[in-house]
Amino acid sequence: MTEAVAPTAWTYSPVLGHYDEVIDPRGRPRKHWRRLANTMTRLGPGQFARRWQHGRQLIQANGITFNVYGDPLGQERPWPVDPIPLVLCGTEWNAIEAAVLQRAMLFNLMLADIYGPQRLLSDGSLPPELIFHNPSFLRPCHGLTVPQGVFLHHYAADLGRSPDGQWWVVSDRTQTPSGLGYALENRMVSAQILPEAFKRSHVRPLNRYFHEYRQGLLELTRTKRENPRVVLLTPGPFNEAYFEHAYLAKHLGYTLVEGADLVVRDERVFLKTLGGLVPVDIILRRQDDTYCDPLSFRGDSVLGVPGLLAAVRAGNVVVANALGSGVLETPAISGFLPAMCRTRLGERLKMPSLAAWWCGEEKARQFVLANLEKLVIKPAFPRFGLHPIFGAGLSASERDDLRRRIEADPSQYVAQEQMALSTAPIFSDHGLEARHVVLRVFAVWSGDGYVVMPGGLTRISTSQDSLVVSMQQGGGSKDSWVLADHDEEPQAPEATRHPVDITRTPDLPSRVADNMFWLGRYLERVESLVRLARALLPALSSEGDLGGGLSIESSVELLIGYEYLPEEMRDAPVLEQRRWLERVLRWIVFDTERVNALSWNINQVRRSARSLKERLSSDAWRLLNRLDQEFPSAILSGEAHLLNQVNTLDRAILTLASFSGLMMENMTRSQGWRFLDIGRRLERALQLVELLRHGLAGVIVDEQAALELLLQIADSAITYRTRYYTSMQADLVLDLLLVDEANPRSVGFQLQTLASHMRKLPGQDQSARLPDEQQFIVKALTAARLAKTSELAADRDQLRVFLDELRQDLFNASNALSSRYLSHSMSTRLLASA
Amino acid sequence: MIYQVRHLTRYSYALPVTTTHSELRLTPRELPWQNLVRSSITLDPQFETMRSFRDYFGNSVRYCCVLTPHHELAITAESIVEVQETNPLIPAATLPWEQVRRGLRAFDDPVALQAFELAAESRYIRWTPAIADYARSSFTPQRPILEAAAELSTRVHRDFKYTPDSTDIDTSVDDVFRSRRGVCQDFAHLLIAMLRSQGLAARYVSGYLRSGGIGAEASHAWVGVFVPGNGWVDLDPTNDVVVATSHVTLAWGRDYGDVTPVKGINMGGGDHTIEVEVRVEPLASIPVPVEVRRVAGRRWDR
Repeated sequence: MTEAVAPTAWTYSPVLGHYDEVIDPRGRPRKHWRRLANTMTRLGPGQFARRWQHGRQLIQANGITFNVYGDPLGQERPWPVDPIPLVLCGTEWNAIEAAVLQRAMLFNLMLADIYGPQRLLSDGSLPPELIFHNPSFLRPCHGLTVPQGVFLHHYAADLGRSPDGQWWVVSDRTQTPSGLGYALENRMVSAQILPEAFKRSHVRPLNRYFHEYRQGLLELTRTKRENPRVVLLTPGPFNEAYFEHAYLAKHLGYTLVEGADLVVRDERVFLKTLGGLVPVDIILRRQDDTYCDPLSFRGDSVLGVPGLLAAVRAGNVVVANALGSGVLETPAISGFLPAMCRTRLGERLKMPSLAAWWCGEEKARQFVLANLEKLVIKPAFPRFGLHPIFGAGLSASERDDLRRRIEADPSQYVAQEQMALSTAPIFSDHGLEARHVVLRVFAVWSGDGYVVMPGGLTRISTSQDSLVVSMQQGGGSKDSWVLADHDEEPQAPEATRHPVDITRTPDLPSRVADNMFWLGRYLERVESLVRLARALLPALSSEGDLGGGLSIESSVELLIGYEYLPEEMRDAPVLEQRRWLERVLRWIVFDTERVNALSWNINQVRRSARSLKERLSSDAWRLLNRLDQEFPSAILSGEAHLLNQVNTLDRAILTLASFSGLMMENMTRSQGWRFLDIGRRLERALQLVELLRHGLAGVIVDEQAALELLLQIADSAITYRTRYYTSMQADLVLDLLLVDEANPRSVGFQLQTLASHMRKLPGQDQSARLPDEQQFIVKALTAARLAKTSELAADRDQLRVFLDELRQDLFNASNALSSRYLSHSMSTRLLASA
Repeated sequence: MIYQVRHLTRYSYALPVTTTHSELRLTPRELPWQNLVRSSITLDPQFETMRSFRDYFGNSVRYCCVLTPHHELAITAESIVEVQETNPLIPAATLPWEQVRRGLRAFDDPVALQAFELAAESRYIRWTPAIADYARSSFTPQRPILEAAAELSTRVHRDFKYTPDSTDIDTSVDDVFRSRRGVCQDFAHLLIAMLRSQGLAARYVSGYLRSGGIGAEASHAWVGVFVPGNGWVDLDPTNDVVVATSHVTLAWGRDYGDVTPVKGINMGGGDHTIEVEVRVEPLASIPVPVEVRRVAGRRWDR
């Protein structure tokens, strides 16, 4: 955001024809907004902007993001939140709460009927097409029973307010309502930047809701086990709401899993962990039901758990929300709700749905076709990628086209009024601006009826003129403050948290261990590339072979060894060598495509880290983000002078060092940490072996220069000089980089650490024969310890053989480790036959 | 008629399969005219879990899970079924088709409500105006429904050529309609699409045909059309017959997707080949059960 000229006082003008949440028709702030308004007046735009700056840093530091589908860069964007909350008074909230509660109950009854006797269809309450034609009606789920009759464990309603001040339900989420985690995050931000208004306004806290969320879920367990294991199933890091899944799992104390982490055996669901299979009792799913089991639903889904439905059918696992609950997410049912509410609950529907006309009904269709320009046309059965069509925005021919499509297949369309949504202020560069708002309210089964979270996620339109509120399409969000009623007992401050179970599930899914391992390996690859580039850069600035320091020749020699340069380059004229050296360094630093260039490896770091979101601290995230940012800026600088990149490389080294420090000092010694460190050690050992192989065992022109280069890349030059006052000697360098277990940059050190890690992995019985991965490491470690460095230094062929063998042992250890602990990612495939 | 049916499905894989989860619809339905005397399903290698349940359409399904690593999986379903003669309907005496179409909307009648569900598009059943037009010429005003439907089935038999291996499961109804070629599954889908395009209810039936007919060497497929008062009448467009005692009914649903005889999800396996072998032999009498043979795997008996 660019720093615009900050206004010195607040100005805000509501939009004519819409209800404004803050300003009443006489131009004064509504009563329940006054405390917040006073605080903001006292702060003034300047101080408010400074606080908001701090708030945004908080968001960035916490790595709060969401993914945008179809974004060519596949980028995560920072979560767009506005610092000014939406304030709702207690009385108004009570009505909202009662209405959402009623809806949750009604929807649960409807699900029980649709997946059971279907009386709603035979008694004419619901047109059968709305169920039978609905791709979200999952026939394999029909007839399945659910504990306590709870099909709908959690639910969310999107509410909008019309110009007369009345709230309407705009849409219902009965499958995997998202936004709860973001609502929590928004609360953290708003409470942090507006602490005085937050306290004085008596904002109702959210904690209790999460307590009831957990309680209710546990009540649904079917197994008699003392401590039922709950997992949160996510489609994975590429889902738009992955951050939220990770955040919620952490907040609720559940293990975050992907489909590939679960397996069905004997009609039971198990989590694949490093220690073996552990049973799962409850799956809180954030994945659409048709993706949950490729055997019963979409055979092409790679995200699912084959056999899951069989486990549900056998009553061995509970999935919440129940599979098939997406059937109610059609706006076409809203017209039938008032009558169903009367007959099934014996009550009047407390909050109306936005009027909807389902074109499958003759009268409704005629009305829609005659009023296209006033309506929003939606698919009756939502599918990914189908967006609402605003009739008003269509040209005459587009409208005709739409009319034809509706007439051809009317039951696929539903039309809604375009609602004149209410407005609320957002904070922008230009001060306060009005935006349209939609409030998402959450309800959950508490074990004894539904409860509604006092608050919610307010989403805002992209501009004053747009009525579209979609995070996917660039909208933003707000915290929602529900004020306590005056006669209500004093609220506990937000800080008094409900006691959290101390026994966090220690299960480490194999997939997570795998990502930890590769994060470690890629981090180390990045580091060794940075060190290589940094050591070679000075050669460019020297006048070639004027002696002293690093020569172009030694650098070229090393790059030939690494196969960055072809063999012929050895005999090329020095000027040409220089040109090539520059070219190679340029792409190591700038190129984004090559596997052995920096940014490709940084990308891999990011990919591995992404799916570890919930397991890395915010500081670790900040460092990874910094690493990520250091290089894109270098790319953007395009033809930037290579020599200026020394600073970038230096910074990267420091960032990497900070990460290592954090790892050693701040991470608990869990198996996850162990796999991260195993990855790093294994990769560092491999890189060192490569370095020695090309820098010492290959063709050497200038031994002194080659040794110097080697020590620099291996970051051991100072150690060498303080230890030996002699000139460079190959056997001494070998001893330092290969054997010396006191040097954290030696092969021996890595091997020794690896051996000790591996002894501590689950299932490593030390009394029996050593497992393969340990055997390879022990063999390599012994070889390094027994290495006769002077002999090896004198006979380079022998050194080559020695290093090749070492390398092979490291590869073997890596493979053995993978196949024992990590390789659960075999692909599944659907077979069908006549 | 009494039949002994043996249905063998054999998968061979390039790479070992560590786990397979399957749903088998290989047990013939119990019906007023079809008596299931015996049936069994054997797997080799043997299964760890086998559970039977009824699906949404009332078909008998076996869910099974094999955890023994294997390069080959053989599934053998054997049954003895008695199919009885029923009184054939007189097509001219059935209701006019328009009346049937209207009657489908009597949702308080559970039979009509169920039939209504089978009047809509489904995953494999989509039609174009050209397909609806083709069908319409059989549905003249007030024509008795069975007369019209049987004529349509005959036309499909006449105008389309039975061509093995000309299509696969992803071939659309429209492709079949244009190329005028296909196998029993395609003709069944096509006839269903045509009937549904007229607002009528039709279902996909999978089963077996006694040897001699077209499509007897594998599992067979045909079409049920809803005729109120009589329930469902089955038509086999591949052989141009009204289904009687030459057919053994396995399962029915909206289309092939609902009744796939063998469906499975594997871990591993790589490339694979499938071999299917079906034998339907008429028996003179119901054989006395002999002791259960022990084949390679565990055996599941009714």
